Amino acid sequence: MSNFFDTLSVLILFSSFILMANKMTKSYIKTFRIQSMLLALAVGSMAIKSIIEEGRFDVLVVCLLIIILKVIYIPNLLNKAYAKAEYKVEKDFILNIPILVLVCCGLVVFCYFCLSTIDGINDGVINVQVVNSISVILIGLFFMISRKKAIGQIIGFLVIENGIFITAMFSTQGMPFIVDMGIFIDMLTAVMILGIMVFKINEEFDSIDIDKLNNLKG
Amino acid sequence: MKILLYIVIQLFVIMMVAPLLNGIIKKIKALSQKRKGAPIFQMYFDLYKLCKKSSVVSDVSSWVFKVTPYIVFATAIAAALLVPVSTMIAPEQLPGDIIMFVSILALGRFFMMIAALDTASTFGGMGSSREALISSLTEPSILVSLFTVGLISKSTSLLQIMNVMKDKGVPLVHPVYIMIFFALLTIIIAETSRIPVDDPSTHLELTMVHEAMILEYSGRHLALMEYGAAIKQLTFITLLVNILIPHDQLIALTGISAVMLSLTIYLIKVIGVCIIIAIAEVSTVKLKLFSIPNLAALSFILSVLGFLQYFVLGGRYV
Repeated sequence: MSNFFDTLSVLILFSSFILMANKMTKSYIKTFRIQSMLLALAVGSMAIKSIIEEGRFDVLVVCLLIIILKVIYIPNLLNKAYAKAEYKVEKDFILNIPILVLVCCGLVVFCYFCLSTIDGINDGVINVQVVNSISVILIGLFFMISRKKAIGQIIGFLVIENGIFITAMFSTQGMPFIVDMGIFIDMLTAVMILGIMVFKINEEFDSIDIDKLNNLKG
Repeated sequence: MKILLYIVIQLFVIMMVAPLLNGIIKKIKALSQKRKGAPIFQMYFDLYKLCKKSSVVSDVSSWVFKVTPYIVFATAIAAALLVPVSTMIAPEQLPGDIIMFVSILALGRFFMMIAALDTASTFGGMGSSREALISSLTEPSILVSLFTVGLISKSTSLLQIMNVMKDKGVPLVHPVYIMIFFALLTIIIAETSRIPVDDPSTHLELTMVHEAMILEYSGRHLALMEYGAAIKQLTFITLLVNILIPHDQLIALTGISAVMLSLTIYLIKVIGVCIIIAIAEVSTVKLKLFSIPNLAALSFILSVLGFLQYFVLGGRYV
């Protein structure tokens, strides 16, 4: 069972690497959807475990919420918002893609060395799941930095959120229900507000390049 | 004595099976396009026909051009001998290891590239520059993934690695091995010039890589080049299936029946990987040449992640 969770955490980490290597708007959304599916699979198997061992049903509710929100609702919302945006392929990054991917690999190593100095996680033995999921958060942050268009920033934000969620899940085996709900509602509002803002920016400037917002400064 | 038997069986299996794989992949592609396609054994007929024909050699070419087909074929065979098709027939000690395996293949590729430059045709130069790009991008990935399994089994000999992996049961449930599996699969696609990297079925000057290098060859020489490429492909697939999907621990028999059973399971695994490659080839489009570094970076990251998982786990579960 531990092997299964290890493998899932590595796959979630690798899906964020795939996201980093992509440059099509559609593949951003598709990769995010796949990552959320893997997340739902991990949380779902934890839910089954907690039902059998402790009789708790709240993790199952969280899993269903992930499937409804992150796998179905948010990707569809983003797809709809970006169907009208003019660009399909992102062209300018801060660095080229292979270097971005290698920097991400450096982030994973960094995470590994940082966590190895913390006592208390599994009695000094480094927990591979925690390393992988904290790396997902850092890669999400780096993804936000490396992309100049608004869609990249939204996807980066969602990946950070996925990373935080999976870190919490792997280190606590299911948080209190009210905390999960709080995170979800937070994220949902954020994404909806971002979607509306992007729509407005697009209407106003005929583009969603955030560099153009500098024009507002006069 | 046993090493002689090993060489005979290994050569027989490799040389008989290698052209079959191209036939299977082409058949699956044809079926997916609702065509009937060539028969599975077409490549054997092609090789037979090409061997009967004399080859045309350009007047301006040097000895490199003539000697290259033999070197490519010989290096492919030599590399194939380092990767046992079944651990049942392998002797206790097998000369050569993973570094030698990679460098032998690099030698063949080097001669292929300079032979393509030798005739001074424009296509040859273009093909060899592209091949140099692709091979230099995939080599780190293959070395890191092979070194990871080497570190786990504490040996660089391929036979020793296979013997250690046999005791693991089903390695693919483990994160280290699943990463290396996908990394090697990507490498196979890049090394055997399959679709996301190169298109084996076109002769369009903008896209071809491997075809551009062997464009000047004809007759016997062409047959040797194509046979060499097919053997190289089978060797890589053997490496993948025998290291990461071991099967010899399931066989309780001994003697000749065990060898036969082991080879049968090996064939089934190889054909399974062929089907995966064919599906990948059907369902993707060819990448732009300058997008290949992105794919190679992903493949490298897969192998490095596997390597890192090995260190993070500290060899505890591995």
